[in-house]
Amino acid sequence: MLKSPATHSSTAPVTSDKAKSKAERSESGFWLNAKDKYYAWIFLGPSLLILGVFIFYPMFRTLYLSLFLTNTVGKPTVFVGLSNYINLLTSADYLSSLGVTMVYVLAVTVITIALGLILANYASKQLAGIGIFRTLFSATMGVSVSVAAIFWLFIFNPSTGFLALVSNWLHLPQINWLTDPGWAMLAVIITTVWMNLGFTFLILLGAMQSVPTTLYEAASIEGATPRYQLFHITIPMISPTLFFVSIITLIEGFKSFGLIDLMTKGGPTNATNMLVYRIYKDAFYSGNYAQASAESLILTVIIAIFTLIQFKVLEKRVNY
Amino acid sequence: MKKVMAFLKAHLLPVIAIVVVVIGAVVYTSAHKQTSAKAGRTPIVFWHEMGGPAEVALDQMVDKFNKSQSKYEVIPQYQGAYDEAVQKIIQSHGSNASPALFQSFDISTAQMMHSKYTTPVQKFIDEDNYNVSDISPVARSFYSNKGKQLAMPFNTSQPVLYYNASLLKKYHITPPAKSPSYSDVTRVAEQLYKRSHHKVKGMTMEIYGWLMEEALANAKTSLVNHGDGHVGNPTKINLNNPTTVNYLKWIRTNIKSGDFVNYGSGASAETNEIAAFLAGKLGIFVQSSAYIGQLTTDNPNKLGISYFPHPDGQKANGVGIGGAALWISNDKPTKVQKGAFEFIKYAERPDSQANWQKATGYLALNSKSQSQPALKSLYAKQPEARVPGEQLAAAKPNDTNSGILMEGMQLTREMEETAMETVYDGGSIPKALSNASQGMNTNLKTTNRANNDYQ
Repeated sequence: MLKSPATHSSTAPVTSDKAKSKAERSESGFWLNAKDKYYAWIFLGPSLLILGVFIFYPMFRTLYLSLFLTNTVGKPTVFVGLSNYINLLTSADYLSSLGVTMVYVLAVTVITIALGLILANYASKQLAGIGIFRTLFSATMGVSVSVAAIFWLFIFNPSTGFLALVSNWLHLPQINWLTDPGWAMLAVIITTVWMNLGFTFLILLGAMQSVPTTLYEAASIEGATPRYQLFHITIPMISPTLFFVSIITLIEGFKSFGLIDLMTKGGPTNATNMLVYRIYKDAFYSGNYAQASAESLILTVIIAIFTLIQFKVLEKRVNY
Repeated sequence: MKKVMAFLKAHLLPVIAIVVVVIGAVVYTSAHKQTSAKAGRTPIVFWHEMGGPAEVALDQMVDKFNKSQSKYEVIPQYQGAYDEAVQKIIQSHGSNASPALFQSFDISTAQMMHSKYTTPVQKFIDEDNYNVSDISPVARSFYSNKGKQLAMPFNTSQPVLYYNASLLKKYHITPPAKSPSYSDVTRVAEQLYKRSHHKVKGMTMEIYGWLMEEALANAKTSLVNHGDGHVGNPTKINLNNPTTVNYLKWIRTNIKSGDFVNYGSGASAETNEIAAFLAGKLGIFVQSSAYIGQLTTDNPNKLGISYFPHPDGQKANGVGIGGAALWISNDKPTKVQKGAFEFIKYAERPDSQANWQKATGYLALNSKSQSQPALKSLYAKQPEARVPGEQLAAAKPNDTNSGILMEGMQLTREMEETAMETVYDGGSIPKALSNASQGMNTNLKTTNRANNDYQ
């Protein structure tokens, strides 16, 4: 509802109660007078225009395209109704993409937060030289996706990579990290967790340091163990931050693109072909805009559902 | 810091004004740097996808062309990877941001043809009575349809077999023949693996649809009906044919005997196999001839090159080309299109092509390039660099080695690669191939339907 400093409102119920405040009057009226409308358009117009051009138009265009087949030059030609969606949701290929995305997102979120929590818990202690460890633990924040991918590509290289050298030296069977469908997902998860860990660590550390020390002092006097303190003081106190980090990591996981593109290109045998990567390939490799549009909308719904679940379930456990 | 903030507060408007002016000036100059031509010259905007050393060589070629005449000015603009550039070219067509001349890669040929966004270069060839007979026939036939040249081949490569000649000598192994059969390659790979006591892997073959298509071409087998699309628009794909099965069985034999190493697919696979090859841990790999430069500069070992392998008991049909061609957009005035063709002619000249091969490793397309000083000096230093050009010259064009003129090749290739991955991991060959065929045919049907069967 628009609020405006209206002097009088044409549709506000005319009451004899002159004590009624101006604000109340304009709030109760849906229709604005001419002057209010004028102001409303001036103030809201620019943002509506920008939202319209950059958000609403692309959204409706995506929806529109997803109901057609698109030809060589990307123009919608044949109306097919929901059959793009039906084809996707019944194709084993797409469902396996959906499956691997879920595995990837959940694994990355859980592992990143667990490791971040452990590292932050240790690094929040006041010890000599702790600054060095804090720097080291958060160092991956400064690493860009492409650098991380190339760095790990060298580690996973089956002939000259670090892991190959170690397994050769220990006479262990060699693992084809990026070419074996069973291992490729793990390799990508390891790389993503490594890359996300710095940010998660730093945010959690910041949250832990803002927990009042008096709580720990009181708990120590009561004889609570460090483990008990972690689960009953630290985690509840930083729960808003944990909530924030879990949503950010989850959504980032769904959007993961650069690493996949540089490390596996969605392979081997589509083992790491995540939803976002698939959309990119369908649209910009194959020029199949209709199918890519349908996939985008499905992904939007999935992310919305996950975010909603997190708000409904996790928020109840958040201790503000 | 405080002082800075205080200054900013006091002079907020002038500061904002300066920032805006600076940003505007940068945008203005960078936008104009690329599209303006010298007075009196017609600008020809040229989109290409050559990065790294090839971009430097291309810029030099353009520069020489611009200096060689005074009517046109070609303005090269790098547009990123091949795949994405195709979409950019198509989506910008008809706007004033579109290029007059562009480079587009091999498997986009059918898409460009169907888009009707280009003027076939045949028109200019006829108008100028330009003699194309010096230009490699197998490269020309790749970008032509029913005798009409659609685009001119430009950067061209062929897959060749690379081997580490020093390692073979060390272990007393006879090198593979100039045009080796599958079993000949297997022999070398197995001997190398055994005699090095498993320290050196024998061979690899990247999971790359292009290589499998070339195996089909070399065995004179079509992947799609209507003569691989050269006779009419394809309606059926058959990947599950005896030639593909034979090719994958050959790879499977090597995987089973342990001499084969799988580097997966994509750019990382190529980086990894080259790293292993240069480190002396891999004996043989098959890859684009464009890698010769990289394989000779930092290689402590002697490089050996053979033709793309062919099935046993069969004569090699010759492989198709890879790379990209130069196309002329039809949304620009005739004068501009003519200028674009002038540059194409310049790019195909014997000296331009010789310098291009020397700088990039792409093959010189003009048969007269072989006697140019640039190539003579290259061959004197690296005699093996002759081999890919000889393979290109030996191929007689026919429907099966002139590429597959079908839309949706990107997706088709992806499905080929998924099938290859399955087979490399030990899956059933016929099942993987029939699954891929099914997916490809579904996609082909949808594509044909969306385009009204190109009526």
